[in-house]
Amino acid sequence: MRIIKEDKSAIDVVVNCLEKGQLVFMATETVYIAAVDATNDLAVKKLIKFKNRPFGKPFSVGVHSREMAMNYVAINQTAEKLYKRFLPGPVTIVSTGKHNLAKGVESESGTLGIRIPDYPFFIAVSKKFNKPITATSANASYQKRPYKLSDITDNISEKQKGLIDLMVDSGELPHNEPSTVIDTTLDDQPVILRQGEIKLKDKNEVLSRSEENTQNVAKELWQKYQDLKGERSIIFALEGKMGAGKTHFVKGLAKAMQIDETVTSPTFDLLVSYKRPQARLELIHIDTWRMINPTDEIDEIGIKSMLKSNSVIAIEWADRILNKLKEYQEDAIVIIVKIDYAKGENDRLISWGVL
Amino acid sequence: MNILAIDTSCDETAVAITRDKQIVSSVVWSQASLHSSFGGVYPSLAQREHKLRIDWVTQKAIKQAGIEPEEIDAIAVTVGLGLAVALEVGINKAKELASKYKLPLIPVSHAESHLLSSLALPSGNMEDKIVSFPALGLVLSGGTTQLVLIKNIGEYELLAQTQDDALGEALDKAARLLGFGYPGGAILEKEARHGNPKAYKLPIPLANDRDKNRFSYSGLKTAFVRLFENINEPSRQDISDLAASFQEAAFEHINKVLEYQILKHKHLGIKNLLFGGGVANNIEIRKKLRKTLNKHSIKLNIPYSKKLLGDNAGMIGVCAYLKNKDKDLSVYLDYQNVDRQPRLGIV
Repeated sequence: MRIIKEDKSAIDVVVNCLEKGQLVFMATETVYIAAVDATNDLAVKKLIKFKNRPFGKPFSVGVHSREMAMNYVAINQTAEKLYKRFLPGPVTIVSTGKHNLAKGVESESGTLGIRIPDYPFFIAVSKKFNKPITATSANASYQKRPYKLSDITDNISEKQKGLIDLMVDSGELPHNEPSTVIDTTLDDQPVILRQGEIKLKDKNEVLSRSEENTQNVAKELWQKYQDLKGERSIIFALEGKMGAGKTHFVKGLAKAMQIDETVTSPTFDLLVSYKRPQARLELIHIDTWRMINPTDEIDEIGIKSMLKSNSVIAIEWADRILNKLKEYQEDAIVIIVKIDYAKGENDRLISWGVL
Repeated sequence: MNILAIDTSCDETAVAITRDKQIVSSVVWSQASLHSSFGGVYPSLAQREHKLRIDWVTQKAIKQAGIEPEEIDAIAVTVGLGLAVALEVGINKAKELASKYKLPLIPVSHAESHLLSSLALPSGNMEDKIVSFPALGLVLSGGTTQLVLIKNIGEYELLAQTQDDALGEALDKAARLLGFGYPGGAILEKEARHGNPKAYKLPIPLANDRDKNRFSYSGLKTAFVRLFENINEPSRQDISDLAASFQEAAFEHINKVLEYQILKHKHLGIKNLLFGGGVANNIEIRKKLRKTLNKHSIKLNIPYSKKLLGDNAGMIGVCAYLKNKDKDLSVYLDYQNVDRQPRLGIV
């Protein structure tokens, strides 16, 4: 693996690597990305191996202009408006693909996310290379967001390190959110699949299309708030009807916290705690469903001492203890997460806000 | 071997005296009976309640057994699974008694006790149940949904467990959706008797799993909510049909996994299945399982009394005995480190 500084001379080095099908890490205005030639089957295979994720999970690609994007996706009216309004910038716009990229870049249903990063070095590379570049974040699945190169190298195996050919060091990036992902293929209305800095409505809301999606949203929220919490506890107060996916959300949290145990519903036991091996971080999973007088009962299971322990607390059926949450707010960050059934069989709208 | 056994893992405060496999006395103070008019129990007040009742329940169990404390050979206590603050009450009491009477203290798993509960005998019964190993074990309750291979007592291999909800919990939740009070699962069963299990088509969970080594109820719950919301003003018959259809899918899931695992382990010549936990009260699931087991000449073993299916300490004492009958109990004299294990399962 080679590490070079980001400067003018680096542009040619990067383009040269991409042309050879190599894996390059470089900065954008959001996070460091793992870049390969999106038209090169072998290069994309290498990327999938690095990301350690199943085949079939798509990658968004970065280009330098809307005109260039039109070679790879069909831009409908909804998308057109979004391109004008947000790009270049921290937004990924999903359209129907033209199926001319390497295998595994487009989604299984043939859609493709396009990014035009608002980052001069990337644009310069893209113009020179003039082929689409994968723009997926440079961490392996469920690992820390990559704001500096050591965020990546500290959290991957030697085997994964061996896959990286070049890293372009731009120092530590400002801790911006990853891009907002907007799907324009579903409806007349744009639908947010991942919420970043940019919002379409005045609330945080994303669409989940599967249990795995819901787990992924939990991971995103965890990453969003984990730095913010400092030494305080963080409470995810989950609301949503039976079967909406509250436990699946907590499964995602556990994964993001590197907890390997199977998270199951705590309805019967009321409180279950999971400890990450060799770490003092603890995930406490609580359920008020079985409580008759939850306002009084929630304190009886010992929640107060946990608030002071820098733990992550997920509470299912939290709408039953809203007044308590206000009290806990003094010691913890409380994030209300609502999971609602939506139109499609497996669809859920997930919205959130800090209390 | 006379054992005084204590269980405070959840809502019930339970103490029993057992003699080998026999349950001599078993006292259960249940919040459920006290609070059923409120539509349920106050589970998280358990710690306070356990503390208030444990002495009384202990005295009563000893008195009912008609023995002197000096005749007790060992104390047994549930260390998990359960609510940590509730488990603590039983463990502290057990340590206090062990110290007072200088007795060994045997830590016991609640789920394992359910697993072995069908081996318990009523007081005075000298006729032993003959169960050969390896056997299968199935525990279905509000907190546990596990299928295991019992190679021998204390030697288990997990074959399947739930990835999300326990079966008992899923039944309670379906019951509440239909507007039933507490205890939901039992009322659901009663309603289902008047219903047609084929009235509604609900998906059997994980039907496409090739290797059937897990259970799940989240998808079925979702489908049930969707189904229920699409029925305008359900009639009484609709409700019964819904109850029956939910049970059908939920139980068929268990049945499918069980049958797969029976075939997979056919070479072991399994003759018995030990069934325990609150859901074993349900006649419908017994019928279903029996049908499958009969096909493979496997006997369904169910505890001799309903009281052994709910939370109780009798099964704790019997489990402690079965696991230690040939052992020197003096290893249990050093019990200061016995601690809560809230997530302890069968394996």
